[in-house]
Formats: sequence, structure tokens, C-alpha cells
Amino acid sequence: MAAAHPPRPAAPLRILTAVPVCDGHDSAVTTINIELARHGLEVIYLGYHQSAAAIVRAAIQEDVNVVGLSSYNGGHIVFFKEVADQLKKSGNGDIPVFGGGGGTITKADERVMKRQGTDRIYFAGTPLDAMMAEIKKDYARAAKPNAKFKGDRALARAITIAESGLGTRHLSLVTSPQKSRRCFVVGVAGPGGAGKSTLIDELTSRFLRSNPTGRIALLANDPSHPDSGGAILGDRVSAIYAQDDRVFFRSLATRGNLTGLSAAAPAAIDILKQSGEFDLIFVESVGVGQESDPFRIFGKGRKLVDATLFVLAPYYGGLIQLQKIALLNGADLVALNKCDHPMAHTAKAEIQARLDQNHREQKLHPTTAAKHFDPGVDALFTAIAKLGRLDVSRGGEKACSMEVSS
Amino acid sequence: MSALGKIADSVDAYNKFVAAEVARARTEEKFAAELRAKWAKLHASIEMTSSPTGTPLPRLALPSTDEPGAIAEYLLGQGFPGQFPYATAAYREMYLDREVERADPSALASSAAAAKSPRAEVSPRHPAKVNEEPMRLFAGLGLAEDTNARFKYLQRHQKSLRLSTAFDGPTLYGLDSDHEGVLGKVGEGGVAIDTVEDMTRLFAGFDLTRTDASVSMTMNAPAPVILAMFIAAAKHRFGPGCVPNLRGTIQADMLKEVQAQNEVIFPVDASLRFLCDMIEWCVPNMPKWYPVSISGYHIAEAGATPVQQAAFTLSNGFTYAGLLKARGADVNAFGPRLSFFLDCGLDVEYLVLGRVCRRLWAIGMRDVFGADAKAQILKLHTQTSGRSLIAAEFQNNLTRTGLELMMAYMNYTNSCHSNSADEPFTTPTEKYALLASHGQSIILEESGVFKHTMNLFGGAPGLLALERQVEKGILDVFREMDTLGGVIAAMEQRYQRSKIQEAGHNYEKQIYAGQRPIIGLNKYVSHEPLPSVPLARTSPTKQRLQVSRLKAFKQKHTKKSPDALQKLENVARSGGNVFGELVNTVEVCSLGQITACLTNVVGKFRPMV
Ligand code: B12
Ligand SMILES: Nc1nc2c(ncn2[C@@H]2O[C@H](COP(=O)(O)OP(=O)(O)OP(=O)(O)O)[C@@H](O)[C@H]2O)c(=O)[nH]1
Ligand SMILES: [Mg+2]
Repeated sequence: MAAAHPPRPAAPLRILTAVPVCDGHDSAVTTINIELARHGLEVIYLGYHQSAAAIVRAAIQEDVNVVGLSSYNGGHIVFFKEVADQLKKSGNGDIPVFGGGGGTITKADERVMKRQGTDRIYFAGTPLDAMMAEIKKDYARAAKPNAKFKGDRALARAITIAESGLGTRHLSLVTSPQKSRRCFVVGVAGPGGAGKSTLIDELTSRFLRSNPTGRIALLANDPSHPDSGGAILGDRVSAIYAQDDRVFFRSLATRGNLTGLSAAAPAAIDILKQSGEFDLIFVESVGVGQESDPFRIFGKGRKLVDATLFVLAPYYGGLIQLQKIALLNGADLVALNKCDHPMAHTAKAEIQARLDQNHREQKLHPTTAAKHFDPGVDALFTAIAKLGRLDVSRGGEKACSMEVSS
Repeated sequence: MSALGKIADSVDAYNKFVAAEVARARTEEKFAAELRAKWAKLHASIEMTSSPTGTPLPRLALPSTDEPGAIAEYLLGQGFPGQFPYATAAYREMYLDREVERADPSALASSAAAAKSPRAEVSPRHPAKVNEEPMRLFAGLGLAEDTNARFKYLQRHQKSLRLSTAFDGPTLYGLDSDHEGVLGKVGEGGVAIDTVEDMTRLFAGFDLTRTDASVSMTMNAPAPVILAMFIAAAKHRFGPGCVPNLRGTIQADMLKEVQAQNEVIFPVDASLRFLCDMIEWCVPNMPKWYPVSISGYHIAEAGATPVQQAAFTLSNGFTYAGLLKARGADVNAFGPRLSFFLDCGLDVEYLVLGRVCRRLWAIGMRDVFGADAKAQILKLHTQTSGRSLIAAEFQNNLTRTGLELMMAYMNYTNSCHSNSADEPFTTPTEKYALLASHGQSIILEESGVFKHTMNLFGGAPGLLALERQVEKGILDVFREMDTLGGVIAAMEQRYQRSKIQEAGHNYEKQIYAGQRPIIGLNKYVSHEPLPSVPLARTSPTKQRLQVSRLKAFKQKHTKKSPDALQKLENVARSGGNVFGELVNTVEVCSLGQITACLTNVVGKFRPMV
């Protein structure tokens, strides 16, 4: 693993961090996350209380260099082994697993764990800087095409290659002529914190329920830190419905691209479309301002998406601010989220009036994404399905009962 | 303005009132005379005792002054022990030895006033709870019978019946031991409880109806289910009439779960509803039970500074008071049933944290919520800091815990858990759990520090200066959260979580930058290899035994459980009191079955980073 002089990676190292199932000790991992990002790594954080299956799924889809687990509530010997085994069994044994757990993981445990596929353990009292230097050195890797990768990992690797600036050059790896599903791509934009991610997750649950066999892909763009180049990509934490093999979730850091999307997003969209795997794709841009146009809906060139959903929350300022949001002119769908907010009533009227000026018959969808089973989200999903002519006839409303835990 | 803004204002107003009264005491002769008379009476009420070496001592130390301004400052600013605003203590005598040595009151030379008042006028000894044994040792490992055995072991070294339960990961997350992928966690870090039968095994052999019994349970999201199992198990053993006699505490504080401990199953609104249902049921039916323990411990252990800990904990408490009031509950009925739980680490602020919290709670409850005296008292449980205990040269942890205990008692905590020196490695082993227990006994029973005289330290200039700064820090946080719309709105904006994470990161950075000396880790390091300590772990055989017990239970109740779950679902959907129904459901359903049923009705919690 540890080459003496690793080649300088072209792109930031990507690491998945998580805390095992039935464990909520996240203080160590949140500190480690901050440090990793500060040292220029892209951290895909999955959260606490995560099953081995969810961790493996995320590692594959995010095509990470390495998986870092932080375990405190015991059972680590069994759990680390389970993650390593599942990675191996699914043909992804090239992704190493390492981690820490303060004093709860002993030296003797480490010996057993190493035999069972864990790469290394960081013990209590390891200085943070030493840890970071070692991780950067030992887990660097060049993202090369690999014909052995199958399924989601092949897709994920193609996106990684696109991220390293090579566009869709390795598209052939994922193109599947047998599968030629029609795929509807929806770009989701809106101010920071309006509830885009939450809304996408709720829409995902509607999709999974209404279509018992189809697949959906989510591309979440989040900003990189301007100084370190690192990023904490935490969108997976709250995407509770994405913990399903029918969902392909990929986090993209913008790596200095200021359009609201990663420079690799157009290629990533193509890759996902070409794979023939997906019926629906949501692309979430970073929080956008008044003038931005992440999906290139206004220019003459090819639009990046088939439809745009603009999400805003009731506290956008006032009528004047509303006027200035260019995307409100071009969006196919507009959702006013956080309708549980006291200002929602006024906002509804103001936004509808603003949309009426466009003479495009844009209907405003009031939603409360934070509420489970919100009828506003149901209606928005129906509108999306209609627009994209999605097959939603197969699942009944109650077809899918919730699982208790992932 | 949210309630928090009003509370911050009410504290400012109270401080102004105290200052005005102090000024009045110094200028108005009549008021000054009243104060002097009151002071004399209070002094006269103080009984004498004596140390084992024969030094006569007052059972309560008051500031040695006869100056009316200073008297007003003490009585109104700090409060006589057991009196508003309770900075000194919740009750008058706390840990004092019960046996009063009859010493001559005139030996108390420092107070002329005391000597002057005739003994006949002395008010009777304060009847408030004296000598309530504060020690509660958090314990849980393996299966119910293993924890039961640990309880029995610890019990041999305590005066009264004190059982404090730690549950394992699957139980904390509302999952059954046979849930996919959790087997390795069964019985680790706490006890595995799936059914009412496990609960019966857990407390087998203990008379839970004894008046000196107190049972605590560190249980949160599934708290209503676990408490319902506790009630059902107790009813089976002691008859249905036992319920009002059950005494103890269940943690159940869901706000701090969202902010720090991360055991949330249902969406926040549903979690709060289930909690309030339980509190409302317990207040009339279990008058000795504390159905919520509003906890700062987890907030601090996750990284928060002492000021943040206090601010978030108190504001969570006020939020519960507001929610219950909004549901129509009477603040004077539920107020006395709220209890608190703070961390005590080595940072200097911990010298006064409990004192400051008691004061702010009392003022807020009285002046904003209109609570009467009983509902103003913050009853405090303290745990020494786990995070301050480290693996390197771990025997030093005994000193750390000893010092923290001392600080916790200086704050007159009502109950206390002391961590074991092997805390960084494992569920405490018998050896270190016993040392932790003896640590408390040595401080309270062997040493004379807390035995003879109440309020040995209160009013010291350093403490007062700290109190003022800590209080100001807390009010600043209240005001910041107020501008965000209050506790719940701030929580939705990740305010508490991001503050805690930032502080936690800072703490670690300070350690590795050498700015925060930790002996044996970054200072005076002896470079010994990590010790190999005995570990308390649960064998796979035991884990499988738990699963087979659960399967047998489910099998036995396979006919009845669907109906019971349907009834529970109906109550949950119709907005009825879920706790009232859970007491029945647990007779035939497992924890995991109940969690699944309720999740179907209210959905899942969407976690936050
Ligand atoms: C803080 C803490 C808590 C906090 C957690 C707050 C939070 N949000 O994280 C609170 C109070 C909530 C808590 C609760 C519980 N806790 Co706790 N907790 C601890 C404590 C005191 C410190 C752990 C910690 O965060 N240290 C700070 C970190 C930064 O330092 P470190 O551990 O030394 O880690 C270093 C390295 O290992 C490395 N590292 C760690 N992880 C990773 C990962 C990667 C990828 C990398 C690169 C490096 C790395 O980085 C660090 C810096 O050098 C330990 C005991 C102890 N003193 O260690 C118990 C401990 C872990 N808890 C324990 C238990 C049992 C629990 C509970 C189950 C108790 C109960 N029954 O209710 C609950 C469960 C909570 C839950 N939801 O799961 C046990 C576990 C026992 C076991 N495994 O056998 C311990 C050991 C205490 C004990 N002896 O009983 N706990
Ligand atoms: N009250 C309320 N809060 C909501 C609602 N939808 C989302 N939120 C909360 O708003 C916050 C931001 O939600 P996200 O879904 O992360 O918003 P976002 O637009 O994806 O944010 P960025 O990607 O950071 O721009 C979270 O705390 C959500 O829980 C809603 O309908 N009502
Ligand atoms: Mg988002």
C-alpha cells in the first residue's frame, strides 16, 4: 500500500468516513473530517449509525480512495470485517478500510482486524497532523480506468475520471446498448439552505414508491474550500431514502468552478444517461444567487438538463429581490419550500404574481419537505412525472412501507 | 422574541433588582434593620457540630458580615441554601452527617448576631431532604442477568438502593437484537433489552418499591417503550398498585439527542410529542418519577465548552417547559418533575456551573413561567467527564475523577456518577467500577470536607467572579439563539451542532498544539506502551442467546402482537397519548416491533451532519 514516493495525485484524495451502526459517537469523526478537508481532501461523510451495507454502497458510488470508520460502541472486530468482506465480495476489494476508536480498539484487536482485512487503526492520542500526513501519503492513487469494475463502481470510476479533467473519454466503459431506458434529467437550483437536498430526498422516496423496479441517480454539487481545496460533502447524511441500491448518489465538489456545478457535472450527467440505468436524474447545484444559471438554460448551447426545478424558501427578502432572480423566468417548476414558516403565506402570493409575469403558465408548488408525507411534495412529484412522462403507474401509494433502519 | 430572550431579560432584571435592594439596604434604615433581624434569626437557626478532632463547627457557613448591603447581596443574589435563587444549594443540608454533635452555639465567635439571639427562637431543623445518598453508578453490560449481577456487586458498597442502567447500542436505537447487522453490538457498552421479560431479569431480586430505591435509565428515543416495560415488569412482580411508588429517572431528553448524542429515531416533532405524552402520563401516575433528565453531559462530551453546555441545557429545559405549557399542562405540576444532568470536567468554569444553572433556572421559571417554589428548583445529577480520561497512563484517571467529584460536590449536585479509570477502553470492569464508587465515599464519608459544614466555599471572591462571567456567557448564547428564533429554530439551522463541533475540534487542536496540557499525553510523557487492561465484552454465545430469547418471546406472542400493534398505531394516528397505550403494548411486543410500528406512522428522523 505505502509506496515510497507516491505520484502526486491530479485530483484531491476522496475519503468516505462513517460511524458504525448503533453508534452515535461522532465527535472524533467530525474533528477528523474538518482536519481532512483542511488538508485538502474531499471527505464524503455518511454520518453515524450506518450499516455495513450503506457504507459499502457509498464507497462504491463515490469511488473513494479509502474508507475511514470511527467506532466506539464495541463490536468493531465484527463490523470492520463485515465492511471489508462486503467490499471484497462485490469486487471492490481495492478500497482499503481503516479507522480508529480511541481506547476502545486495543492493540490486540488491531492484530485480529489486520488479519481480517483492516488496513490500520489509529489509537487514542495520535496527533492529528501526523495522522493527516500519513493518510495523504498512503492512500493517494491515480484514477485510472479499470475494466474489472462492474455496475455502479464502473459508473463511479467513469465520473472520477471525468472529475480529473478527462471528460467522457472513458464513456465506453459504462455504455450499455442493451439498456436503453429513457431518462429524464432535472436540475435543482435555489438559494443556499432553501431545502433542495431535503426536497430531492423526499422526491426520491416518491419515485421509489411509485416505481418498484426503476433506478434514480442523484448528483449533489457542493463547494470546495477555496484555500485548502478540500471539502466536506455531507449531503448523504440527510438523504435517508438514498440508502437503497436503486439509488445512485454521487457527491461532486466544485473544485474551484464557480458556475454552481462541478466542471465535471456535464460529463457526469452524460455518463449516467449513457449507462441506461436510470429513469430519473436529479442534479443539485450549490446554492445560487440572482444571476446564476448553473444548468445553462438561457444560453443558445445545449441545455444540461431536461427540466429545471427552482426551490426557494419564504425568506428571500422582498418583491425587489424576487424580481432579480433570473432563474424564476426560465425554471420549468418552482417550489416554495418551508411552507411551515410563518412568512409562507405572503411568499406564496408574491411568487405566484412574479411567475404570472412570465406568461409561461408556471405553477408554484408549495412544499414542506421537512414534513414526512407532505401532500405538497406529492403534487410536485406528480408534476415532475408528468413533465418527464415517467412510468409511475406500477406502485400504489402504500406499496412501500418504511424500513426501520438502513 | 422567543422565550429565551425573555428569560435573558428576566435575569438582567433580577440582577438589577438585587443591585437596587443592596443600595436600599445601605440607605434605608428600616430595611437595613429588617435585614439585620432576619440575618440574626438565620444565624440562630444554625446548629453546631464538631469535627472528629474536636473543632466546633457551624452546620452552615454564612458570609461573615453584618453589613446590610452584603446581607441583601447574599440572600437575594445567592440565596440561603434551599431558598431562591438557589445558587448555594437546592436544599439546606445536602451531604451533612445526620448526627448532630451538640456543641455550644456561642463557640461561633465570628457572628455576634448568633450569640445574641436566644436559643429558644431557633427554628426547627430544616426538614428538607438531608442525606439523600448522591451516588448513582451507571452500569450495564451483556445480557440482563450480567447487569443484574453487576448491580448486586455495586449495591454491596452503597448505603441505599441505587440502580443506574446503561443500555447497549441496538436498544438505544430502538432495534431488536435480531435486527440485520447488529449482532456484534448486542450487549456491548450496555445491557441488551428487547422485551419485558429482559426487563424482569434486569431487576430480579431488587425491591423497587423500597422508599430508598431509585432506578435510573439512560434511554432516549425509545424511552417511552423502555419505561413502559419497566412499569409492566414492576407490576408483574409487585402488583398493579406499585406504580405510584416507583422512584427514579429516565433520561428521555430528545433535544440534546438531536444536538449531541445522536440517538434519534423519529422526526423531531414526533419525538417531542412522544416525550410529552410520557411526561403527562407520569406526572399524575408516578409522582416520584422524573420522566426527563435534561442533559448537558452529552453536549459537553461531544465537545461543547462549559458555557455552551449550560446554555444549551438550560434552553432545552425551558423549551420543554414551554411545550408542556402549550399542551395545557400545569407548570407547578410538571415543573418539580423535570430534572437535570451536567458534566463536570477539569476546566475552571466547572467550579460554579451547577450553581449558576440553578440560579438561572429558578429565575426563568419564576419570572417567565410563573412557577412556584417547588417548580423553581433545578435538581442536578452530575457525571465526571469521560472525555477528560485518557488511555495513556490511565491510572492518572483516578486523580482526574477525584478532582472532578470534588468540584461536582462543591456545586452541591443532588446525585453523582464517577467514571472508572478504565473508561477509555471498556465498559468499566468490576475493579475500576469499585474504585470509582469508593472515590465518592472517600470524599463524602471519609473526608470531613462535606460532612460538617454546608457552604464551605460559596461566596469566595474567585467563585463569585467566575459565576458572573459564566452567567454572562450563558445569557449571550440565549440572546444569540433568540435572534435565530429560539431553540428549535436554531437547531434546524444546525446552530448547536456546529457550535459543539467547532468547540470539540478546538479542544483536540489545543491538545496537539500543546496549549492544553494533558499529563502523560502531551506533557511529562513517559512513552509507556498502551496498557493491556481486562475488557468487559460480550461473547458471541451470549449474543446468540439474547436472539433466541427474543425469538421465543415473539413466537409466544405471535397471535396477540398484531392486535396490540394495531391498537398502538390507532392511538398514534388519532393523536391520543401514546404512552398510555405502550404500557399495554409491551406485554406482547418487542422493542423493535414497536419502533417499526411507530415509524410507519410518523416517519424517520432525517439526521443532521
Ligand atoms: C465522548 C464520549 C461520549 C459522548 C459522545 C458524543 C459524540 N457525539 O461523539 C456521549 C456522552 C454522548 C457518549 C455516549 C455513549 N457512550 Co461514550 N464515550 C465518550 C468518550 C468519553 C470519549 C470518546 C471521544 O470522542 N474521544 C475524543 C476523540 C477525538 O479522541 P480519541 O477517542 O482518542 O480518538 C483518537 C483516535 O482514535 C483517532 N480516531 C478515532 N476515530 C477515527 C476515525 C478515523 C477515520 C481516523 C483517521 C482516526 C480516528 O482520532 C482521535 C484523535 O487522535 C469515551 C471514553 C473515552 N474516554 O475515550 C466513551 C465511550 C466510547 N462511550 C461508551 C459508551 C458505552 C457510550 C454509550 C453506549 C453509553 C450508554 N449505554 O448510554 C453512549 C452511546 C452513545 C451513542 N449514541 O452511541 C464506551 C464504549 C465501551 C465499549 N466500546 O466497550 C466508552 C469507551 C466509555 C466506557 N468505558 O464506557 N459517549
Ligand atoms: N422548517 C422547515 N425546514 C426545512 C424544510 N425543508 C428543509 N428544511 C431544513 O432546512 C435546512 C436546509 O435544508 P437542505 O435540504 O440542506 O437545503 P439545501 O437547499 O439543500 O441547502 P444547500 O445545499 O446547503 O444550499 C435543513 O436544516 C432542513 O432540515 C421545510 O420544509 N421546513
Ligand atoms: Mg443541499
